Formats: sequence, structure tokens, C-alpha cells
Amino acid sequence: MLAAENVLFTVAMCLYFAAMIFYFLFTALKKEKLSRIAIGVQALAFLLHTAALVCRGIGAGRLPLTNQYEFAASFAWGLCLVSLIFILKFRFPVLGAFLTPLIFLVIGYAAMQSREIKDLMPSLRSNWLGFHVSTAIIAYGSFGVSAVVSAIFLFRSRMKDEGFWGQHVPNREKLDLISYRSVCLGLLFLTFTILTGAIWAERAWGSYWSWDPKETWSLITWIIYAVYLHLRFNRGWRGRSAAIFAVIGFACVLFTYVGVNTLLPGVHSYK
Amino acid sequence: MLKKTIRFLYSMKFAILLLILLAAACVLGSVIPQKQSFMWYLSEYGTRGGALVVGLGLDDVFHAVWFLVLTVLLCCDLLACNLLHLPGLLAQTRALGRAPKAGEKTVGAVSGVEKPEAVFEKLHMPKPKRAEADGKTVLYAAKNRAGVWGAWVTHLGALLLIIGFTMGQATLTEYTVMGVPGKTCPVGDTGLTLTVEDFDVAYTESGTPQQFTARVTMHGPEGDRSGTASVNHPASLYGFKIYQNSVGTAAKATVRSEGGTVAEDVLCPGDVLQIPDTPLTITFEAYRNKGFGGSGTVPGYTFVLENGNSGERYYGEQAEGENAEFDYGVSAAGGEGRSVRSYEVRFSEPRTATLLRLKQERFTWLALLGGLLTMLGLILSFYLQPRRVWAVQDGEGWTVSGECRKGGALFYDRLREAAQTGEKEETTDAGC
Ligand code: HEM
Repeated sequence: MLAAENVLFTVAMCLYFAAMIFYFLFTALKKEKLSRIAIGVQALAFLLHTAALVCRGIGAGRLPLTNQYEFAASFAWGLCLVSLIFILKFRFPVLGAFLTPLIFLVIGYAAMQSREIKDLMPSLRSNWLGFHVSTAIIAYGSFGVSAVVSAIFLFRSRMKDEGFWGQHVPNREKLDLISYRSVCLGLLFLTFTILTGAIWAERAWGSYWSWDPKETWSLITWIIYAVYLHLRFNRGWRGRSAAIFAVIGFACVLFTYVGVNTLLPGVHSYK
Repeated sequence: MLKKTIRFLYSMKFAILLLILLAAACVLGSVIPQKQSFMWYLSEYGTRGGALVVGLGLDDVFHAVWFLVLTVLLCCDLLACNLLHLPGLLAQTRALGRAPKAGEKTVGAVSGVEKPEAVFEKLHMPKPKRAEADGKTVLYAAKNRAGVWGAWVTHLGALLLIIGFTMGQATLTEYTVMGVPGKTCPVGDTGLTLTVEDFDVAYTESGTPQQFTARVTMHGPEGDRSGTASVNHPASLYGFKIYQNSVGTAAKATVRSEGGTVAEDVLCPGDVLQIPDTPLTITFEAYRNKGFGGSGTVPGYTFVLENGNSGERYYGEQAEGENAEFDYGVSAAGGEGRSVRSYEVRFSEPRTATLLRLKQERFTWLALLGGLLTMLGLILSFYLQPRRVWAVQDGEGWTVSGECRKGGALFYDRLREAAQTGEKEETTDAGC
């Protein structure tokens, strides 16, 4: 099973790279057909990636969500899932040109981590862990999409309404709405992540909230997105300010994910 | 001026400011190591920096007065926001079900529609109501009225969550007990005692711990109550939740004098053994599996010997298999003169001890309710976006209009699509 996982994971990673190239070619050569190929390759990579995770789960005899490699691989998977949903739902293939490099980066980071399967420490042997981490993956994926859409929003005014970019990139109002949609999805899942994490911490350590750096940073992320939502209610701040907050929010997500484990001590460091 | 200030305090701008300040406080609380000694901050951040950190309460951000003030202000703001918006939300909910008035706000209108019922159907509003206004027939329907309450429920949830957490922390009773099978320990000053009946460590095939399980009995005024606490599965006894928190190493301590044993007990780290007829106590500190003996490879024990309240203190070390020896002058029988007695301390038989955490937390249910309401509120806010569609007969055809407070541009696309194409809408509610 683990040998199959290795092969599937490597092929999926190559396909993500190929999808990225097709998306770039699509924006460079401006040929519709290339966007369809890129989406197809990304979808295929996603399927193989899913199969790799399933193989690892079977091989390890548990959900593949407990160490740095597994979480990074799952983060890339979540990012790909949400990006495909948004690309197809909003007919926005240009999004892929910005998101596939991010997916490739995350899966590349996963590839650099140790794939050794270690026994779980007793506190990690909980069903709540499954809920906690799987919802985090969707939340992080959604925030990734919203950050990229918001970044496009910030540059949208430099794009002409006619021509390729005007045709393929929605106007600022719609970009703002698409970013909002992905923040909504992300915030809902992040709230679920924090709730299930709190329930799990209560059962495992006897305290549902102990201001551990990872907990604190997920709260910071949650607050940043709550600010984002409120900014959108203010006509003057909607759009640009909200977009900036969506980007800051994703920076917080990345710090919560990588920075906290490496820079700050706490119970969440995957050692 | 006063009115303006009060209005600002209950405004969304102030809420945003509070949220940003709280986020900034959290950043400081996670980046600056918390609850260290004053000297530690001085050595880490310099004289001025260290004093500033401690003076501003940055050494314990989450319990600082200013953090509490920010939290209370946020709660007041949430409460005021919900109270002030209540009448408006009731009115909005009612208005959604009424026939539209002339000049109603709309995301856009599509005219020349022949079969308005089909448009309603495509937008998942299959049974529009019919009304007559200004001599024209109007069809109208609303969807997701509950969504109006999304932000309100989210705010209520956040408020209950914060109150539940803060009150839970303020009224928390917590003790830790370390024990080995057969040992009975007091539970703080509650008058209750706890006996560890059994402690089991299950290992995986590769030899790493898989589960720690402690069987315990609590003794109190209502008799003995037994339960099992393992990691992720706390026990509940005498109103306490008992968590299998961690493990440590206990050891047997034997004190001998003049060929006979004068005191003996199994000590966990922190436990104290009194030497009879003397004010002397021995506190067991820790067992380490190396670092002792001439080569530094032998396991051993550290302990503290204290002479009552005199302040005399001796930090002792003992390698496995050896004795620590000391002399002490004791009063001779009858109180006449003093004689010096030699004592030997020997720690031996290290064994795994369980560290149990006993907790009484009263408002967890309120925090949980708050959390669940927050979730519900977010679902209502984001995925039940209230929308309304109406069609006014206009000569030969109908003009179809719609209103959706959030996501107007995307909703207008859907409305247009529903009005112009014969295809059924595929978009889910999320795509309001
Ligand atoms: C813990 C803090 C808070 C959280 C988590 C929170 C969350 C939310 C959410 C999720 C929404 C709905 C956003 C959307 O549908 O796009 C919202 C809307 C809103 N919030 Fe808050 N909020 C918080 C604090 C506050 C405070 C203190 C105020 C006080 C003024 C406030 C005022 C509002 C208002 C006026 C709306 C718009 C309601 C509407 O018209 O539907 N919020 N909030």
C-alpha cells in the first residue's frame, strides 16, 4: 500500500506541475482549449492524490492526518478541491494559473517531509482528531482560494475590460463576491475546526482552551476573517480593505500552519 | 458629542477596532513567552524592555486587566448590537413575506418574460403568491427568511461563548495528583482523597505507549466511588472530571538509622517523607535514567533534605544502588543533651506513576452552546441568504425583479439566466 502511495503521490505531483504549465500556456497563448486541458489535468491529479491519501490511510491503519507530511499533503488536496469547485462553479479558469503554483508549492513541501509512519501518541488516538484536521484542510483550502481571488481583485483595476483578461477575469464586484464565498466556506470550517479541537483538547488534556500558540493563532485567523466580514458591510471599506484582510488572513493561516510549529512551542508541534 | 461617542461605542467601526486590538493582543501573547519570572524578562529583553513587558502585563496577556477590559467591551458591543438590531430584523423577516411595493430595491430587472412561474420554479421558489397592486398583477415569493437572523445568532453565540469561557476560568477548581497503585493522596483541601487502584500502560508492537489507564477510587462523605480514566476518556467522580494527564516516576524511599529502618514510603515527585522524632523532611524531586555515578551513565535520584522551618536545606543526589548519608543531632530521651545520629537515605525501585488532573469547571456547557450557536449563525448567514423575487405584469409580458442583500451581482446573473434560458438552475443555495 505504501509503495502504491509513493507512486501515486509522485505522479499526482507531476500532474499538478503539468496543470500549472497548461494554465500558464492558457494565459500566455489565450487559447480556450488549453484551459479545458489544464482543468482536466488538475482534476486527474486530484483523483490520483486522493488515491494516494487513501492508500496511506489503509497502509497506516488510520486517517492520514497526523504528521507534517500527511497534513501538508492533505492541505494541498484541500486547496485543489476548493480551487476546482470555484473554477468550475464560477467558470473562472484563470484562477487555476494562480492556484496551481500554490498547490505545487504545498505538495512540494509535503514531499520534503519524512514519510515514515510512526505510532501515534495516546492523545492523538481520538475520533475528534479526524474531524478537527479534515475540517482544517477545507478551511485552509478555502482561505487559499480567497487570498488568491483577493490578490487578483487588487490588480483587477489594471486590467482592461476588453480582451482576454477582461473576458476571463470577473469584474471587481464579482471578484469580491467570489472571495467572500470562499471566506464564508473557510470561516465555517475553521469554526468547526476550532470547536472540534476544543472538544478534543478537553477530553485529552482536560482543558478545552489553554492559549497554546496554535490555538491562539487559529483564533487570530478567525478574528481576521470576522473583521473581513464586517469590513464588507461598510461601503467605503468593502472591496480593497476587505481584500487586503483576506490576504492577511491567509498569511495568518500559513503562519498557524508552518510558523507556529517551527517557531513557537506548544502541544501541536509534530515532533 | 456624548451622543456621538456613545453611538461610536455601539458601532460596527468600534467592533472592528476591538477585534483588531484583540487579535494584536493574541499575537503578543503567543510571541512573548508567558508567565516567566521577572528576572527572565530582564535577561531576555534588557532592563527597560523587561520592565515594560512586565509593567504592561505582557508577561500574562490573557489574564491582564486590559485584556479583560477589551473582552468586556466586546461583549457589551455584541449585546448592544443584537438588542438594537432586533426590531429591524423582525420587520425585515415580516417584509420578506409581503408583496413588494412600488420602487422596491432590486438587484436588477428582466422584462418581457412570458412565463414568470417558470422563472420562480427555476429559482427554487415554485409557489409564488399573487397580489393586485395599482391595477397590475404581481407574483412574489421569498426564500431563506431564517437567513435574516444569521448575524444575530452568530453574535449571540459569540457572546455566550465568551461569557461561558470567562466564567468557567473564574470559577475553575483544579488539582493534580500523582500516584502509584495502592497509594492514597489528598485532593487539595477538599477533604476528599483518591486512591490509585491500578495503573496500566499499553504498548504498541514497536514498544511506544498506546494508552495509559488508571483505575481510581475517590473517598468522601458519600462513600467510595470508583472509575477509570484513560487518555481521551476522563472519569467523573464526586463532581470532578479526572483526566489521565501524564506520567512520571515514583520511587521507594527508605531511611535507616543505627541498623534499623525509621521511615519508608513510595514517593512521587514532590512527595514529602517525615523522619520520625525529628523536624527533618525529605522531598523527592526526580528520577533520571542517567547522569549519576562517576561516569555519569548511572541512573539516580535527586531529593531535598530540609530541617523544619529553619531554612536549612540540602540538595541531595543518589546514584542507583548507593546510599546518601547524613548526620543529625537529636535530643536525647528526657530532653537532656543532644546526640548525633547517622542516617542513610536510599531511593530504589523506580516505577511509573500516573499524573491525574482533577477539574471542576462549571460553565463549559455555556461555552459549548455558544460555539454551536456561532456555527448555526454562520450557516444561516452564509448559506441561507434571504432573497426575494417578484414579477409584475407589464402589458403583454412580465418584468421579473429580485432582491438579495448579499451577492446581488451573482444573483442578478442567476435571475437573468433563469428568465432567459429554459434550463433548470443548477446553482446551490450558496450561490445566492
Ligand atoms: C466576536 C465578534 C463577532 C463576530 C464573530 C461577528 C460575526 C458576524 C458575522 C458572521 C456577520 C455576518 C456577516 C455576513 O453575513 O457576511 C456579522 C454581521 C454583523 N456584525 Fe458582527 N460579529 C462580531 C462582533 C460584532 C460586534 C461587536 C458588532 C457591534 C456593532 C457587530 C455588528 C455586526 C453588524 C451590524 C452586522 C451586519 C448584520 C446584518 O446587517 O446582517 N459584530 N457579524
